[in-house]
Amino acid sequence: MGILSQPVGAIAAWLQALLEGWGLAPGLTKVILYLIGAGLVATLVQVWVIFLIWFERKIIGRFQDRLGPNRVGPYGLLQPFADLIKIITKEVILPAKADKAVYLLGPIVMNAGVLAIWAVIPLMPMVGMDTNIAALYTIAVGAFATLGILMSGWASNNKFALVSAIRTVAQMVAYEVPTVLALLVPVLLAGTMSLHGIVKAQHVWFVIFAPLAFLIYFIASVAEVGRTPFDLLEAESEIVAGFHIEYSGMVFAIFYVADFLHAFTIGALAAVLFLGGWRGPGAEAFPLLGVVYLWIKAFAVYFLVVWARGSLPRVRIDQMMDFSWKFLTPLALILLVVAAVLDHFVIGLGVWGRALSHLAANAVVAWLVLQYLEHYDRARARQRPMVAQPGQYPEARPPAPVETSPETAS
Amino acid sequence: MTVMQIVFLITAVVTLFAAFRVVTTPNMVHAALWLIVTLFGAAVFYALLQANFLAVAQVVVYIGAIAILMMFVIMLTRREMRDRGPQTGKQWPWAAVIAAAFFGGLVWLGQQAALPAAPKADVPKDSIAQLGQALVSPNGFVIPFEVASVLLLAALIGAVYLAWTRHQS
Amino acid sequence: MSEQTVMIQNEEDTLLSRFPKVVRKDERKGYEGYVVEANALTDFARTLRDELGYDYLSSVTGVDYLPQGQMEVVYHAYKTTGGPALVFKVQVPRDNPVVPSLVPIYPGADFQEREAWDLLGIKFEGHPNLKRILLWEGFHGHPLRKDWREPYFEAEHKPYKSRFPEGKVFRAEERNPFGKNVDYPAGFDPAQWTPDNTNALIYEGLGRVEKASDDLPTEQIVVNLGPQHPSTHGVFRMVVTLDGETVVDLEPVMGYLHRNHEKIGERNTWLMNMPFTDRLDYLSPMSNNFGYALAVEKLLGVKPPERAEYIRVIMAELTRIQNHIFAIGMFLNDMGAYFTPSLYAIEERELILDVFEAVAGSRMMVNYFRFGGVARDIPEDVMKKIHDLAFERLPRRIDELDRYLTNSEIVRVRGEGVGVLTPEQAIAYSAAGPVLRASGVPYDVRRAEPYSIYDRFDFDVAVRYHGDVYDRYLIRMDEVRQSIRIIQQALQQIPEGPIMSGKPQYQHRVPAGESYGRVEGPKGELGFYVVSTGKGNPWRYHVRAPSFINLTALAEMTKGQKVADTVIILGSIDIVLGETDR
Repeated sequence: MGILSQPVGAIAAWLQALLEGWGLAPGLTKVILYLIGAGLVATLVQVWVIFLIWFERKIIGRFQDRLGPNRVGPYGLLQPFADLIKIITKEVILPAKADKAVYLLGPIVMNAGVLAIWAVIPLMPMVGMDTNIAALYTIAVGAFATLGILMSGWASNNKFALVSAIRTVAQMVAYEVPTVLALLVPVLLAGTMSLHGIVKAQHVWFVIFAPLAFLIYFIASVAEVGRTPFDLLEAESEIVAGFHIEYSGMVFAIFYVADFLHAFTIGALAAVLFLGGWRGPGAEAFPLLGVVYLWIKAFAVYFLVVWARGSLPRVRIDQMMDFSWKFLTPLALILLVVAAVLDHFVIGLGVWGRALSHLAANAVVAWLVLQYLEHYDRARARQRPMVAQPGQYPEARPPAPVETSPETAS
Repeated sequence: MTVMQIVFLITAVVTLFAAFRVVTTPNMVHAALWLIVTLFGAAVFYALLQANFLAVAQVVVYIGAIAILMMFVIMLTRREMRDRGPQTGKQWPWAAVIAAAFFGGLVWLGQQAALPAAPKADVPKDSIAQLGQALVSPNGFVIPFEVASVLLLAALIGAVYLAWTRHQS
Repeated sequence: MSEQTVMIQNEEDTLLSRFPKVVRKDERKGYEGYVVEANALTDFARTLRDELGYDYLSSVTGVDYLPQGQMEVVYHAYKTTGGPALVFKVQVPRDNPVVPSLVPIYPGADFQEREAWDLLGIKFEGHPNLKRILLWEGFHGHPLRKDWREPYFEAEHKPYKSRFPEGKVFRAEERNPFGKNVDYPAGFDPAQWTPDNTNALIYEGLGRVEKASDDLPTEQIVVNLGPQHPSTHGVFRMVVTLDGETVVDLEPVMGYLHRNHEKIGERNTWLMNMPFTDRLDYLSPMSNNFGYALAVEKLLGVKPPERAEYIRVIMAELTRIQNHIFAIGMFLNDMGAYFTPSLYAIEERELILDVFEAVAGSRMMVNYFRFGGVARDIPEDVMKKIHDLAFERLPRRIDELDRYLTNSEIVRVRGEGVGVLTPEQAIAYSAAGPVLRASGVPYDVRRAEPYSIYDRFDFDVAVRYHGDVYDRYLIRMDEVRQSIRIIQQALQQIPEGPIMSGKPQYQHRVPAGESYGRVEGPKGELGFYVVSTGKGNPWRYHVRAPSFINLTALAEMTKGQKVADTVIILGSIDIVLGETDR
């Protein structure tokens, strides 16, 4: 077992030999190794958030014609560390009448829910829990993030936080459905729910098989994370900060980290499900390269999230519900059926034949959807009533236009 | 004692304690949260039994949907979150007696049944594929599965209809 | 005799013959309009509105004539078809000033009558909700009364001699130590004071109101948006009763930034008020200067030279542009865009503020206008800069903003059909500026009653017909384009010449009389009502603040909308708290 072809396996074997050499039982060493692995992944991704914070601020700054952080360290790279020091030295304020235990548990539950997703993400071949329910598992643990928001929103004893918690539940219930339906398309194409299996099945990326499903998955998971344009749960201009309005100091920092990490995590998931995961030239031979590929792909999706944040306003709660129930969910359902039926006929065509026929089917569905949207747009234009007719009120002018010449009249 | 047994014992203790707190805590939201812990403990048991799919389904359905909706409902409808009265009714000794008898009966039954010392067969590697096929194959459970689907659909349509007429009037 | 005089003659005959004993012309020197007996006011107003077409009650204010022992309420009504004001007044004794409320006839009088009660103590009989609006319930007295004195009172008029006794600066605070600087009404104990019942619900942690209707039994929740809230554009509060996310009731609460601008203005000399007007709507100082200069120039009877008039128009229109693009940017912020549109807008605004800085020495507190001209001429290079802005940069950047925002799907679904105000409501509530014009009423003071030299320019009065938030956004876009047109014409026509008529002076002798000067400010009709007794200070200095009066319609617009809409509806009115609270 070479360190290049199986880096994690090699290190694990070495560690196991070391621990067993100290006289520990094999069962116990296995548990210790699991704990080390989990701790390592969880720590690394949370430390990675420090870079994400810098990146997002810098990119948003560029979108807004300004420089972004540029004072602390080269290119402002150390800015998040300065923020970190500031935030951990702040007082953690417990609001009066807040439910203390629930209040403090909220951010932890949320962060745990986000971190738990990383247990099944295949970072490279042979790394990451390989289980045949991984795709479902990502949805299941996502519920914990919602639960954390619900807990903190309720426990803060604040109306804005409560409104935010209510919105969160509505949002989660609505957007979990299209997420799952869109997620089922790659599951169906790969024939397995294991994320490793899905990555291995992507000789051609599934985004070519199912671009619409990718789009739906992306939109719905942006909504689940609560990023612009679906950031109603922390809508700054309406409910100030939503569920974390009362939080400060380190407790708030946990939310902050969870928020950024969640956004990156959906990037990683989208990369695994649709963009080929760790696949790339040479990744089979040198698995470490796979991590790099996955990271780049996840980062590209994350960039889309930041892009949306830098350029889109927010939708309203009823519009958001409508968008999910009346548009995304039926469309995802149609796509799932189309993919299933089509795949039955084209499975023998070889990889590219299959991919292209799926792509063609997607194009047809997309065209139909656009037709429908145009019709909807026209129907809406008819619905918007005018409160006054042009000319109903004459343009106000001084009476007796004695000397006003006609050409100045517009 | 293997590691698995230790994990099992810890989970069992936590689950039982949480279940106990569900019925004893005076705070409604705390009760719902303890219930979530209980349900999660059950999911861990499934995972320990290698029933991964059931474990995840437990989390998705019970925690992700039912428990969260319960919390939601509690938050929205109860103004008074804290129940100030005693947490037991008048009949609690009778209930305790019946519960104890029931538990004793269960233990006795467990003693009587001849449990095999070891599983007869290993858990199949890909149980989920078998599960899926069993649910939709004509030789399997396709009819109960479809009947259940139709039942749920009827319930769904009924719920929509009820809400709809209320909304219109 | 011109047609106009004939018409006014007819009106006068109608009014005087209809109300033979109770209405008379105001014969005082320098005054205009009619004096109406208090008991005939309601009939008089109804006749004005229904028969003579004065459907728009622009301004309601009061004046305390202490020497005569009278309190006077002054109304300015206009026709939405344009033309000069019809001024009418009610005189009541000072010791018991009771006037019938005009809210049933002109709902737009609501906040203004409350303000008059608050500051002058005039009771309006029949007002639905006559309570203090700018001050709080624990305030002692009515500060705009001439005999009201603050706990530490220095002198009636500026400049205060007491600030420099024996040639040394003396800090007024030292004579006014903590604990002695507040007066409470008799029997008022701040420690015992609790807000009234409607407010009490706000302060309960998660207090709810039972809903009266027997539909789906949902509970209502009272949320306090503000006074510290990111999208109230300052220290402003909206008490919102919510049913789920839907607004059932809304009550604006203001006055957190109140400093009694008008009282201070009465103690200032005439010229000292010029920089003080900058602090009203601090986003559009030039327009404030303009309105005040017009009002006082009417009394003084001076007319600025040609070049000064052009400079004034250029500055006022630049102000409108920067105010509108800033309003658009901030409106998008309220909609939830993460600062990108507002920062693009601020970029252009900065360039315009550069121009202000170059001509006036200050970016926001410009203090640029003078009675009979402007303070400084525009230097050649600044002129070139304005030229570049008007002909090159601004049209391009406005098109760019238009391209990014106007057809954005989210902006459209958020704005269309939200916060609808029908033209009838808009007129009734005395809404002004973009709010009025977005509802299909093409009323623009620049066209309706041209002041300065606006009758020389070729521009369109922007008007839209849906009356919703999206149209208010579009109106601002349109008006920016029209302003650019006006600036382009002004730049081509501007003559050389002096910028002041007469020599600059510090102390003006303003003849006795009243005058109302109004301009089309970026936020709507900005009016200044001044009364002079011929002394060095104004006897009365009142600001008709469009931000304040436009808020009268806020509750009407938000009912039945979602809580997220409240924020964008407020953003679409475009208020500045410096002006609202004064």
